[in-house]
Amino acid sequence: MQGVVPMMDSPWRLLMAAPATFCATRSAITIEDAASDFSRNASAYKPLHTFELPTGAEKHYHHQFADMYFLRLVQLKQAVKQKAHDAWDDFKLGGERASYVERVLDVRQGELCWVVGTVYMEMALKPNVLDDLSKEHWIAAPPPRETYVSPSGADELMLEDESGRLRIIGDSLNSHYVTGCILAALGTEQADGSFQVIATQYADLPRQPRRWESEDAAPKAKRERSGKLALVSGLDITGTPDDDLLLDLLVEYLTGEATGPPDQTAASQISRLIIAGNSLAHASPILNRDDFNAKKSAKKHYGYDASSYNATPAEKLDSLLSQILPSLPITILPGEHDPANVALPQQPLHPALFPLSRAYANPPVQSKESLEGLDSVTNPWEADVEGWRILGTGGQTVDDLLKYVDDVEPLDVMEMMLRWRCIAPTAPDTLWCYPFQDDDPLILRECPHIYFAGNREKFESRVVQGPAGQQVLLLGVPRYSTTGQIVLVDMETLDVELVEVGVVQPAS
Amino acid sequence: MAEESYKEYLANRVLTESQPITYRLLSRALKVNVNVAKRMLYEFYTTQTAKKPKSIHATYLIAGKKRSSEDSNGSNGHDGDDTVMRSSPFMSSLPAPEEPLEKPVPKTSIVLVREEELEKTKGRFEEITSIHVYSLEPGPLENLNLLAVCNQEIVDNYSSGDPLDRWGIYGSIRNPYVKRRTTKHTPVTAKNAPKATGKPTAPAKEAKKEAPAAAAQKESTPDENKSGRSTPQPGPAASLKRTDSKSKAKKDTAAGDLFKSFAKTKPKAKEAEKPKEEDEPMQGMSEDEGDDDDEPAVKFDEEKAAAAKKAREDREKQLREMMEADVDMPDAPTEEEKDSQDAPIDKEAPSKPAESEATVTVQGGRRRGRRRVMKKKKVKDEDGYLVTKEEAVWESFSEDEPEPKKPKPAPKPAAAKGKKAGAKGQGNIASFFKKG
Repeated sequence: MQGVVPMMDSPWRLLMAAPATFCATRSAITIEDAASDFSRNASAYKPLHTFELPTGAEKHYHHQFADMYFLRLVQLKQAVKQKAHDAWDDFKLGGERASYVERVLDVRQGELCWVVGTVYMEMALKPNVLDDLSKEHWIAAPPPRETYVSPSGADELMLEDESGRLRIIGDSLNSHYVTGCILAALGTEQADGSFQVIATQYADLPRQPRRWESEDAAPKAKRERSGKLALVSGLDITGTPDDDLLLDLLVEYLTGEATGPPDQTAASQISRLIIAGNSLAHASPILNRDDFNAKKSAKKHYGYDASSYNATPAEKLDSLLSQILPSLPITILPGEHDPANVALPQQPLHPALFPLSRAYANPPVQSKESLEGLDSVTNPWEADVEGWRILGTGGQTVDDLLKYVDDVEPLDVMEMMLRWRCIAPTAPDTLWCYPFQDDDPLILRECPHIYFAGNREKFESRVVQGPAGQQVLLLGVPRYSTTGQIVLVDMETLDVELVEVGVVQPAS
Repeated sequence: MAEESYKEYLANRVLTESQPITYRLLSRALKVNVNVAKRMLYEFYTTQTAKKPKSIHATYLIAGKKRSSEDSNGSNGHDGDDTVMRSSPFMSSLPAPEEPLEKPVPKTSIVLVREEELEKTKGRFEEITSIHVYSLEPGPLENLNLLAVCNQEIVDNYSSGDPLDRWGIYGSIRNPYVKRRTTKHTPVTAKNAPKATGKPTAPAKEAKKEAPAAAAQKESTPDENKSGRSTPQPGPAASLKRTDSKSKAKKDTAAGDLFKSFAKTKPKAKEAEKPKEEDEPMQGMSEDEGDDDDEPAVKFDEEKAAAAKKAREDREKQLREMMEADVDMPDAPTEEEKDSQDAPIDKEAPSKPAESEATVTVQGGRRRGRRRVMKKKKVKDEDGYLVTKEEAVWESFSEDEPEPKKPKPAPKPAAAKGKKAGAKGQGNIASFFKKG
């Protein structure tokens, strides 16, 4: 090996003379030395099992969803009321002081008051079971809707609680609220029975734990400097050779094989990779309409047709993970297209999908979490990483909420979810959801430091502030399959950077 | 690593075999650090092109910062696909904080490019932190995706060995904290290994397990069938005596002991049972057919099978004679046949509704009694509709009874009769679930 080095040094320099490269500044020997001692820091990682459903017979799907709305109202009413009291107690309109009305049906006409309730949006284009039935008889299915907002503006907004519903109108409402969020509305009832809203209040961000709070009881003597957290989503592995190269580059970057020492050093600071949903492109157990029609037209089979199953994408994903895992611990969330249950919260991808990679995970009988290795988690998912509280989803909640509103950016949606303290406000209505009975984990209890949503069209990030000094980093993690982007978060400073992997294909 | 060997390898691979090779594959093949492999590729490329220009083609991997104008463009040109994004300003009432203050996010670009486009692409970079040869191939690539075969080759051929030691050889980033457990089911070897071994072994094992189980079932079914009709317990004993062959030998180990334990008067019982068997024509019939159908499927003991078959043929003959005389239950045999063909194990089940409870009195060589038979009945109800019902009907029967009353001592007939109603019913249910 040593014999090669002096020989190779000179031509290498020649090539590298123009750009500022590692070889122009360092000798070949140091490259070798440097290469062999890239080493990662430990990833302080503590997954919270907030969204895990009971297993087996404990899981009941026959409950009514009404309980979820009830729970949500009960649990958030107090906070919303408090906010409203603070804001409106001194509010006077024409000498009249606003009073709080306990139930929406108790609102009296012409009286200035405020009520707390759950928003319900009646939208003409919202999916409807009855529509679905009539669709069965259509020859061509309508295209999937990008929005539920009807162009004629005929959509209605209601405020409901356990007593009844109140139709609410007012300029301050337009596309600020969606079905399922809890709202305090100040206004008066009009002659036609609708409630004219002047102002609204929501719960806003809950308490935010301090960094390392969960471990402060037994603080470590000295913590290493935290590394970086890498996030990707939407690998969309189809199993065709076309997407292989981009995935290979991802592996090579993360394992620190591609590029030269400066970038390899940067890569070695990454201490954990989070894959935020949609690792596979077409693996959802419930087919979308196109796939379904394609399948229906094919030969009819009774029961499950094993011959139509294509294992290649799953094998590819397993192979990809198993190449990264020796060097980097991975947390994988399921997404809309992944082979997990479709109802939120999606439960972890089954280890049987990862015959190679699961060697890096604890056997399920031992523990539900793997701190160093492959951790297959729920969607949404919550954890303490490097002391920070992280909350993340595969992105379905954001996508669904965007259909309710016009002219709203995904990051706004994410921010509002946090402020409403509801991770999936539209959940039982237009988003599949487990019928929670006694407790709804989709209600936000503690404010995260980092909130990410996977499968966005493009990368976005923003820091939002709460009333009590909370600071949340919102991250829209772009689809890797279309953007080639990896999001890196410095877990010491919460600075964000991007790595973009690309291929310049021949012009022809 | 002798320097010549890599040249030889590369010449062989790229020039002779006309295969592309990436730095990564080279490092795996020669077991060198990836950064050394990158230099080897470059070295080989320069010497080759010096010797003969255009004889070899290279792709490069550039890492660095792109010019900010290019940032919005994106190397893939995918940004144009954003149709869902809305460009309108944020809604006013949202307490969205100071958006304009968002500082641009630093972005590192890693771009794979052919040598043709290298200069142009380099021009787009503001700062290049590293650049190296990614792959060599015999001619210009039309589609860079072809390079993925190299990584596939690594997975297929070079994934043996402990993956946690790879960093030492190939220079990937080391993570001292990752643990890997070795499982029996996932061998460390090639990617295909678990597929090849893991998946098939399970079915194979199962199949193996299945086979003996099936054989065992088959072994037991003939006896069961023979016995099932009248007196379950003595039945097998009788049949195995009668067939008097391998089946007996086999049976003796398992069931034989059991029977011995209570059959003091076994020899006589055997004689007694034999004719009794003949009393149940329909079951005998069905059983025969079922077994004949199934026999070829399972080769558990050919000798035994042959013997059993012979015995059965004898019996079948007898039964046929019986059948002609039998008038008691005209519809039962057909039902039996239907069922027995597909589910031999299940044979007893159908007989249950037909003859669930029977009170048998044995008198002077004839068995007389009443048994319950399910019969279809069409009735016109009060509204004038025809209603078809299945009804349990008691009908009396009288059959030849094997003469020896005495050889069947008190316990025996009691057992026989008791079993007939009770145990048989259970047997039926059990076998029913076995089928499912």
